Amino acid sequence: MTVSMLNILQSAVGVPAVPMDQVVVATDLRWAGIILLLPLLSLLLCGLCAAMRVKSKLPAWCTVACLAGSFVLSVLLYVNYNPPGEVIPLLSWMNLSWGDGALNSFSANFALYIDSLSLLWIMFVTGLGTLIAYYASEYMEPDLGKGYARFFAGVSVFLFAMLALVLSDNLVMLYLGWEGVGFASYWLIGYYYTRPAAVAAAKKAFIVNRIGDLGLALAVYLIWTTFGTVQYDELMTVLESHSWRAEFEGWTISAIPFLLMLAAFGKSAQLPLYVWLPDAMEGPTPVSALIHAATMVTAGIYLVARTYPLFLLEPVSLHVVAWVGGLTALLAATIGMAQYDIKRIMAYSTVSQLGYMFLGLGVLTTYGAAYHVFTHAFFKAVLFLTCGAIMHGFAGQLDLRKLSGLRHMKGWRITSWTMLIGCLCLAGFPLTSGYFSKDAILAEAFVTQGPGFEILGWIAILTAGLTAYYTFRVWFRVCAGPVSYEPGDELHDDHGDHGHGDFHPHAPRFAINSVLVVIAVGALVAATPYFMSNKADANIAGGWVADMVHDSTARAGLPGLAESQHPHSEEVSHGAHEHPTLFGMDPHKAMYFVSGAVGLIGILLAAYLHLWKRKSADALRGWLLARGWIAWLPRAMERKWYVDELYHALVRAPLWILGHICYAFDRFIIDAVIVDGTARVPRLIARWLQPLQSGAVQSHAVVMIGGVGIIVLLLALCLRFEWLGVVL
Amino acid sequence: MIDRLWFLMPELIVLGGAVLCAILGVSRKVGVRNLLPVFAGWTLIIAGVVAWLFVYVPSTELAAVATEVPLPWLGRWVVIMSAVVGLMLVFVQAGLVDRVYEAAVAAGRVAFDPLRTTRGEYWVFFLLSVGGLMLTSGASDLVWLFLALELTSLPTYVMVAIGRVDRRSQEAGMKYFFLGALASAVFLYGFAMLYGATGTMSLVDIRTVLAEQVAETGSMNPLATIGLMVAVLGIAFKLAAAPLHLYAADVYEGAAAPVTAFLGFVPKAAGVIALMLLLSVTGWQEDGQLPQVLVILLWVMAVLTMTLGNIGALLQTRIKRMLAYSSIAHSGYLLIGILAGPGAGYTAVLIYLVAYGLSNTATFSVLAGLRRSGQEVEFLDDLAGLRERHPIMAWGMAISAGSLLGFPPLLGFWAKLLLFMAGIASGQLVLVIIAGVNSAISAWYYLKIMAIPLVGTPKSDAASIERVDVPGARFALVLISGALLVMPVALSDMIADAEAALREPDKMQTVDEDSGHAGGSAIKQEQPSLQS
Amino acid sequence: MPPMSLMLANQLPLYLPIVILIVMAIIFGAVNILGSHLLGPKRYGEEKMSTYESGMNPIGTARRRFNVRFYILAMTFLVFDVEIIFLYPWAVDFAQLEPGSPEAGLFLGRILFFLLMSVIAYVYAWKKGVFRWD
Repeated sequence: MTVSMLNILQSAVGVPAVPMDQVVVATDLRWAGIILLLPLLSLLLCGLCAAMRVKSKLPAWCTVACLAGSFVLSVLLYVNYNPPGEVIPLLSWMNLSWGDGALNSFSANFALYIDSLSLLWIMFVTGLGTLIAYYASEYMEPDLGKGYARFFAGVSVFLFAMLALVLSDNLVMLYLGWEGVGFASYWLIGYYYTRPAAVAAAKKAFIVNRIGDLGLALAVYLIWTTFGTVQYDELMTVLESHSWRAEFEGWTISAIPFLLMLAAFGKSAQLPLYVWLPDAMEGPTPVSALIHAATMVTAGIYLVARTYPLFLLEPVSLHVVAWVGGLTALLAATIGMAQYDIKRIMAYSTVSQLGYMFLGLGVLTTYGAAYHVFTHAFFKAVLFLTCGAIMHGFAGQLDLRKLSGLRHMKGWRITSWTMLIGCLCLAGFPLTSGYFSKDAILAEAFVTQGPGFEILGWIAILTAGLTAYYTFRVWFRVCAGPVSYEPGDELHDDHGDHGHGDFHPHAPRFAINSVLVVIAVGALVAATPYFMSNKADANIAGGWVADMVHDSTARAGLPGLAESQHPHSEEVSHGAHEHPTLFGMDPHKAMYFVSGAVGLIGILLAAYLHLWKRKSADALRGWLLARGWIAWLPRAMERKWYVDELYHALVRAPLWILGHICYAFDRFIIDAVIVDGTARVPRLIARWLQPLQSGAVQSHAVVMIGGVGIIVLLLALCLRFEWLGVVL
Repeated sequence: MIDRLWFLMPELIVLGGAVLCAILGVSRKVGVRNLLPVFAGWTLIIAGVVAWLFVYVPSTELAAVATEVPLPWLGRWVVIMSAVVGLMLVFVQAGLVDRVYEAAVAAGRVAFDPLRTTRGEYWVFFLLSVGGLMLTSGASDLVWLFLALELTSLPTYVMVAIGRVDRRSQEAGMKYFFLGALASAVFLYGFAMLYGATGTMSLVDIRTVLAEQVAETGSMNPLATIGLMVAVLGIAFKLAAAPLHLYAADVYEGAAAPVTAFLGFVPKAAGVIALMLLLSVTGWQEDGQLPQVLVILLWVMAVLTMTLGNIGALLQTRIKRMLAYSSIAHSGYLLIGILAGPGAGYTAVLIYLVAYGLSNTATFSVLAGLRRSGQEVEFLDDLAGLRERHPIMAWGMAISAGSLLGFPPLLGFWAKLLLFMAGIASGQLVLVIIAGVNSAISAWYYLKIMAIPLVGTPKSDAASIERVDVPGARFALVLISGALLVMPVALSDMIADAEAALREPDKMQTVDEDSGHAGGSAIKQEQPSLQS
Repeated sequence: MPPMSLMLANQLPLYLPIVILIVMAIIFGAVNILGSHLLGPKRYGEEKMSTYESGMNPIGTARRRFNVRFYILAMTFLVFDVEIIFLYPWAVDFAQLEPGSPEAGLFLGRILFFLLMSVIAYVYAWKKGVFRWD
């Protein structure tokens, strides 16, 4: 029997097994691989710098140059690609088949899947990555010659993994990128590895993310067993083919979206897996801005958007996504209201905004979610970077009670005003970018029909008000009011000479300021895509970003798209037939007024409590704490609703006990009896055989010839008397 | 005739290089003598590049060769593999021979005497042996096969003896020579019976004659069957497979570490290639039927070899002896692939040979790269805590031992996976289960080899372990470790190339170009014998 | 499958001459040794029991170590000795080939290659100092 199960299929990238009508294989765009390679090059250069003990800013410049190159190439790719999507084969990796039939082959290659969704992502990832690396070149100055190269190597690893995640054409490569960004995040959160808090935070982030990763791994496996492929183009073809849909049923169809959801919630810090993100602020601030605000945490959104058709098969999964998103947004916003550490507030606001994005996905507005990802990347980056500038200048001071009036201090004006822009966008101040992107989600919550989606819409509006309040609480406290400040506890050597009594904050210089201005302008300009003309389909609102989503796998979530194109999504269709209203208006129009008003109320409340009558905030807190029936509210908010304690009691403590039981079992039963016992058997046999190996050449020769003789004789006898039939 | 010679160009280049090494080795200029490894390395590189260029030879030119050789494309794979692994071995051996003598000459303590130097001869034998391996793959008849195998083996006997100035290496050399001669006699005896049964030496003709006999009488000529059995058993010596494996531990331990690295790959690869060619005379590429006796023989050999090898390795405290036994076990795994047959099995064997050759060379390069007061490091415990003083060595050791164990994602893992998959696909489930159990047993000592240098507590005299001054072994270690990590990325291409190397003669007219490039989209040729 | 003995039986007669030859050789050797042992007279003396060295009186014992150069020289001699064995049949064949034909060229090329190898071996041995005796 001649078996050749390892024969190479035609490289699945080169010639797709399933004929594709839309996605084109584009070998002429192979240069796009350089986008991926440049961060690797930067990693190599940073590694070399570390090995050569470079004391200058060389690693930063290498990284900035490489990332800028990636960004330019991304834009070129956007200009040059052909909608609706292209697969660019780079390197064949695994093409195994062990027979004919659906589940007898497996292909996963290093290939890029270019459609508008991935382009949107890589453009802001590389663009912001470049700017933040440039910012970090100044921010990380105190570590020059020590961890400087290590930091930029980590940033390069992150960018490589993130781009691999976004650009991959199959779920296996996405998984590699997914683990890669998790690893890079671990690396960078634990950058200050001498600080126990940083190490603990890094571990927490990694372990919590692993739970999500497990979901992703299982999902990839189930997708392969169910659909027989892990490549997007083939997967989408299968999903759209009627022959398949006629026979689909079974639990895997329902399980897959929930597992993907688990992965997305882990990476994007949603209930119940959000706890790692606030702690991740132990990393250097540029990392928080890049990874934990702008890019990595949106990987979950990307995953859901990318596999959106799978979610449409199981409507319940989208309802869960919407509810988890909405509740996370509210919970995180309430926690953010009561924190004093400005970076932590930003972290909770990130969790809250990510909740909005999932809400958007859940209520079938992928373009709203994508647009919010896009605008949020800019304004949250600005906010983090200004926090970083403040932290850098005031020796690690982040307590908003100990900083005031930065606006009036020399050298801090740019920081203050860019922070204001970020705050306005985050608060959804009318006509800012955050205003439009948030409204797109809020309104759709009222348009789309689903279990309690209307309640969800009101929760989201309430959250918008809370967001405006806590955002401006920070700004009014830190940037407005009379000038006063205390240094933090991280006095560097250059401050040490002066001591606490004579502290001079050092204002940010060119690199930080220029990046702040550029990103702040970007945050404002991010509103314009909303008004840009829509090439693809004039019926669809949302301008350029909707365009970006329209051509991708997430197009099913576009409002106004003809229902007939997606007959299988009927159960979760938009309620386009009856046109629900809000205050008698179209929800989209009404939302402009409602959310604008809610935002303004939040800002005014913050202004009253934290600018005009600063004492009243403490008075309010004291008043609440004095009333027994309401005192739990501020307490619980300050203690983050006791979630960490709850997890400790529910998960960590039982695991700790279980761990010790396992340890004892392992130590005394497995190790002592089974392992050592089993290991003893072969060793005893070996001892018994040892005399055969006496080392004398004559005995070797005798054994050799004797062995040959006996074997030949036995087999010859078998042959002679036809014993083979008996033996076999 | 001229066509045939043309395709032996890589082998001729290696032969020419060997001759020149002999002449240069007796030069009175020390610079010329020091250039010998460089020269040997370039010889292998050129041979490999020439073999690689065969891609561009039009298939019509190859047609003449195709009718004479059972597996006409195999040569290219084997030559390139030998050149690559051989080059790594060159790095490992660099500066090995005559180290003491050359130092004495350089210090002016003794005058240079051409008669006393062995460096030139060593490189001659090195190249001749690698050349023999290359020649084995092109064998078209029994005489060629025998001569090529002897060309592979004979130089190694001398290399063992002159690899270092030591009584144990002399003893090992003698032992290896006597037992090797005995084994050669055994398989020559088998060849004689095969000739007696068929009346021809040519492998292709033997296949035809045997097929005719089967067609006439319904079974293979018993004389031919017994001849094949005896020949297979004799070739088992080259593989260090049971029951002819006994020499391995003594010889591998007695030889210098770089020579052991050489012994672990070159004769073994030659033996495997010879087995593949020899078994082709049963014609099982066409009808897929290996005679039952041979199946039983190979099955028993595989089980015995891997079990005895792994159990033998368990008890060793001397690292070279441990690795020697482990290399016996690897022969057992390789026999699974041989048993799984043309197609998947042979493909897996070719890839496993590369993975094994590289990993094996890397583990020995660690031993070759370390010295304690001029002597090799003997015990595994001596390597404890190596990471603290020589981190590259420790990590390289961990990676290469991990690859030998089959630790994902290293190349060794994929190679072993392919081998086991091929075994299962050919219906040898029991054998694969036994191999799996053996792999688990081998984890016991491989994990020790991996862990002790990395996390072990150094012994008090650990500081006396020094790196040797020639950087070749370290260089090879770094290169191979990188390759073991990176090569799985190109796994598909390797499989494609290996399958291309196993294409059968009659399929070659349709082939115009091989696909050696990334992307794999250029694979246009028909796939041979997908299913039975 | 027909019984193996039957298949062997078909072929065995072919080997009969060889068997006869072997048997005759054994008998011849055994008869000679036995005959001389049984029939020959046995007389021992000091001179007769001493080592035979081509008529000379033996000097010292035969079990002494020889200079290694003897062996190398002997091996070099052997190379050229064997070369003659190749050259003679070649010369006989070459004479029968048509002069100027492709076969003749090929024949000439082969033997020249062979001779070149021998010359290289000779140069190598020379450089190695095999012919020096100091």
